[in-house]
Amino acid sequence: MSRIGVFICHCGENISRTVDVERVAAEIGKHPGVAFSTDYKYMCSDPGQTLLKKAIQEQKLTHVVVAACSPRMHEKTFRKAVEAAGLNPFLCEMANIREHCSWVHENMEEATVKAIDIVGMMVERVKKNRVLPTITVPVTKRALVIGGGIAGIQAALDIADCGHEVILVEREPSIGGHMAQLSETFPTLDCSQCIMTPKMVDVANHPKIKLYTHSEIELVEGYIGNFQVTIKKKARSVDEDKCTGCGVCMTKCPQKKIPNKFDQNIGMRTAIYVPFPQAVPNTPVIDRDNCTWFKTGKCSVCQKVCGPGAVDFEQQDCLVVEAVGAIVVATGFDLYSIAEKPKGSPIKGYGEFGHGKIPDVIDGMTFERLASASGPTGGKILRPSDGKEPKQIVFIQCIGSRAREKGISYCSKVCCMYTAKHTMLYHHKVHDGQAYVFFMDARTPGKSYDEFWRRSIEEEEAVYIRGMVSRLYQKGDKIVVMGSDIAVGVQVEIEADMVVLATAIQPQKGADTLAQKLGISYDKYHFYSEAHAKLRPVECATAGIYLAGACQGPKDIPETVSQASAAAAKVMTLFSRDKLEREPIVARVREAGCVGCFACKKVCAYGAVEEKEIRDRQGNLIKVVAYVNPGVCAGCGTCQATCPSKCVELDGYTDEQIIAMIEAL
Amino acid sequence: MSTRVPDTSIYFAVTEGIRAEANRLLSAGEVTAIVGYTTGRRTGSSQPIIVTDADDTARLCFSVTSVNNLAVYLTKAKKEIPKNGKIGIVVKGCDLKALVGLMGESQLKREELYLIGVPCVGVLASTVQPSTELTAETIAPKCRECDAHLPSGCDFLPDVALPPLPQLDGKYTAEIARLEALTPAERWVYWKEQFAKCIKCYACRQVCPFCFCEQCLCDRNKPQMVDTTPRPSGNTAWHIVRAMHLAGRCAGCAECERVCPMDIPLNLLNRKMAKELKELFDYEAGLEVNDKGPLTMFTEKDDQSFIK
Repeated sequence: MSRIGVFICHCGENISRTVDVERVAAEIGKHPGVAFSTDYKYMCSDPGQTLLKKAIQEQKLTHVVVAACSPRMHEKTFRKAVEAAGLNPFLCEMANIREHCSWVHENMEEATVKAIDIVGMMVERVKKNRVLPTITVPVTKRALVIGGGIAGIQAALDIADCGHEVILVEREPSIGGHMAQLSETFPTLDCSQCIMTPKMVDVANHPKIKLYTHSEIELVEGYIGNFQVTIKKKARSVDEDKCTGCGVCMTKCPQKKIPNKFDQNIGMRTAIYVPFPQAVPNTPVIDRDNCTWFKTGKCSVCQKVCGPGAVDFEQQDCLVVEAVGAIVVATGFDLYSIAEKPKGSPIKGYGEFGHGKIPDVIDGMTFERLASASGPTGGKILRPSDGKEPKQIVFIQCIGSRAREKGISYCSKVCCMYTAKHTMLYHHKVHDGQAYVFFMDARTPGKSYDEFWRRSIEEEEAVYIRGMVSRLYQKGDKIVVMGSDIAVGVQVEIEADMVVLATAIQPQKGADTLAQKLGISYDKYHFYSEAHAKLRPVECATAGIYLAGACQGPKDIPETVSQASAAAAKVMTLFSRDKLEREPIVARVREAGCVGCFACKKVCAYGAVEEKEIRDRQGNLIKVVAYVNPGVCAGCGTCQATCPSKCVELDGYTDEQIIAMIEAL
Repeated sequence: MSTRVPDTSIYFAVTEGIRAEANRLLSAGEVTAIVGYTTGRRTGSSQPIIVTDADDTARLCFSVTSVNNLAVYLTKAKKEIPKNGKIGIVVKGCDLKALVGLMGESQLKREELYLIGVPCVGVLASTVQPSTELTAETIAPKCRECDAHLPSGCDFLPDVALPPLPQLDGKYTAEIARLEALTPAERWVYWKEQFAKCIKCYACRQVCPFCFCEQCLCDRNKPQMVDTTPRPSGNTAWHIVRAMHLAGRCAGCAECERVCPMDIPLNLLNRKMAKELKELFDYEAGLEVNDKGPLTMFTEKDDQSFIK
């Protein structure tokens, strides 16, 4: 005979504002099987949990239903409390009367009736819950870090310094990411290369870090503690073991006019190249689309001049499988292109700015390359069109960002600061030049950030104009910038030599595809979603996968580094134990009915379903049935939904329980 | 010869071919049994037979009434077939698709079968007498839209050339188009009428090679998934379960429709599902042994426009 205890939470006023909790407690007290029912202001608080534990012991409760918030919030809390009181934790269920009821309704009467229904359903479900023993699984103490920008580098170094092996995968031929492209960094104006490249070298030299550059994630299988990751090593056409990085191949390559992506396509590179001189690894890669050998079958100069014979035209893409226990995703960002209007995307581009057709209208990253000492101009600010020094320069903020009509409503967070930095860099390099900035607001929260912005105006003579630009057009060799100054209430027209757009930060292209491979969620902009916006900001809802840097949302360098270290700390917490305790909510096969069609095996995303032979006493094979490995099963229930003969049941969610819930309505 | 009438004269040669091959197989001990057709009691009719003795192979035949999909004898009804050894089976193109599907679902192994293919110009509709001649009017609806007159990949195929085939308009295609033109409410009325006729005899289930579950979920009572009595709610539930379980698997042998005593157009539902699968995933059941059907896998090419 069940003696079920029901505990209704007010959640301060979150629930009791729209649900008459006393009435729910009274009504549910009459439900068959319910022995005890009460309500309390904060069930999750210490007195609330004490009340629950006391009731279990005094009332000799057999099952518990806590009607409160989402189980994602506090299921663990209450199961722990139930366990402390001597019951199996899996005899406790939560009825969500907050997110599913009080928060989404206004009418108290109706919401109360609905809450009674929700709790009644959970009472019926918990009646059929079984005592479940905890499952333990081994942990592979190796981590995968996807993305070799500052976020990935920091996370990899932190984990590796703790003594665990790290696999760092980077799509480009070199690690470094966007930070390696920057000239100076706010708010201290230290040179990005100076602080970045030593970290890149640390990665290359670290005995615990295995670096895969020019590689991509092909497939991710498994689950927390036990992932199998297939990595595609794209053909580099240069043998990494033989190459000494002498660079002769690059000097001899006859193809010299290929726009270098690292220099935002304003600098040129050869067909066999390293993206930048400080690249890690310092091993060139052949760009097969532009290489004469690959296009015509003639040339092979690089092969002839290579002393160690490292150039290998026959190299193929190859797949490597690595076993890891945790994954840090640090794929970073991309910049909004004013010209591009991707198909099926809400991004609209900027027709009023010439859709990116005016050569001296550049984005912030291109300005970084112009200002960079290692950039294509050697650190001189020169116009891409004619190489002249711009004497009047206009910066426009919030391009794409905070522009709902252009498809993006968020703030890109770093543009106010980097535009302020750009005005300073410009002022330092072009003493007789004048910088203008069109801005909506200056958002400068952060240590020494506002001081930095003030400095750009007060000491570095930048003119800030509050207002937006309506149109840009070419007039002779000038660009006419038409905007408004809303502080004064006048139209402004500036004949600029160069215009720099602070374009919005967007997730990397293909972020959604990678998320699908990893099984993690993302928002409408394809930024990856954290498990909880406030309390679990670096974890994904998918266990064992963590986020670092701008792939989760726009971030500056300090914030990215903090998040990367936080993600590393989470990985180290996971690796601190040899065995991982897992929820025993797993699927079981009713072997008598299983016909072995293995539909369950085909749909299982975790590879948990195996084939099992059933033999009679003489050892004759009777049939082959499905078997769910409880150590691997993640309890998603897809097999249960797929099984045509309904022979797979997920503990806690059996068909019997679901039908009992429906019938309780 | 008018192309309005399918030429069935090849069936004599086909029969001869099947008999000779079956005799050879059983005499040489290459197979332990052969599932095929034999003549029935009524004039012109035929029925399934399992031959285990070479002397009985003369009883095998193939005619316009060899309608049954024999694949079902390899799954549910397999208890009648000796367990050990290879089994020979006579297959039309449409039946082969079912075998291919069953192989993909781990129910059959190709190496345990010997496929005796049949060049087929069509069989009779279940609504006419077995002695009727095969014409454009009497041909089974599924044969009108057949694209597998010659089964491919068989171990043996009688050396008979297919005669020119008549071009017949597709009845299922026309009927699906008619129903698609209706409003959802009108369609619902149509199917409600059809399902109301059901007497829950489960003949459709018993004859279907893909309904191979040891215990159908409709027969379970803990919990009771589907109302067992032939009343509208349970009938509708059953037919939806049947159609959904066959989506992406049914290749259209139309046996369900043939055996339905209440003339419910069951294959029409199956064909509509197949059409959806073709349009959504460019997938046709039974063409090749697939480890995963479109409904049990996800690819990046899948339509995701429904995710808002």
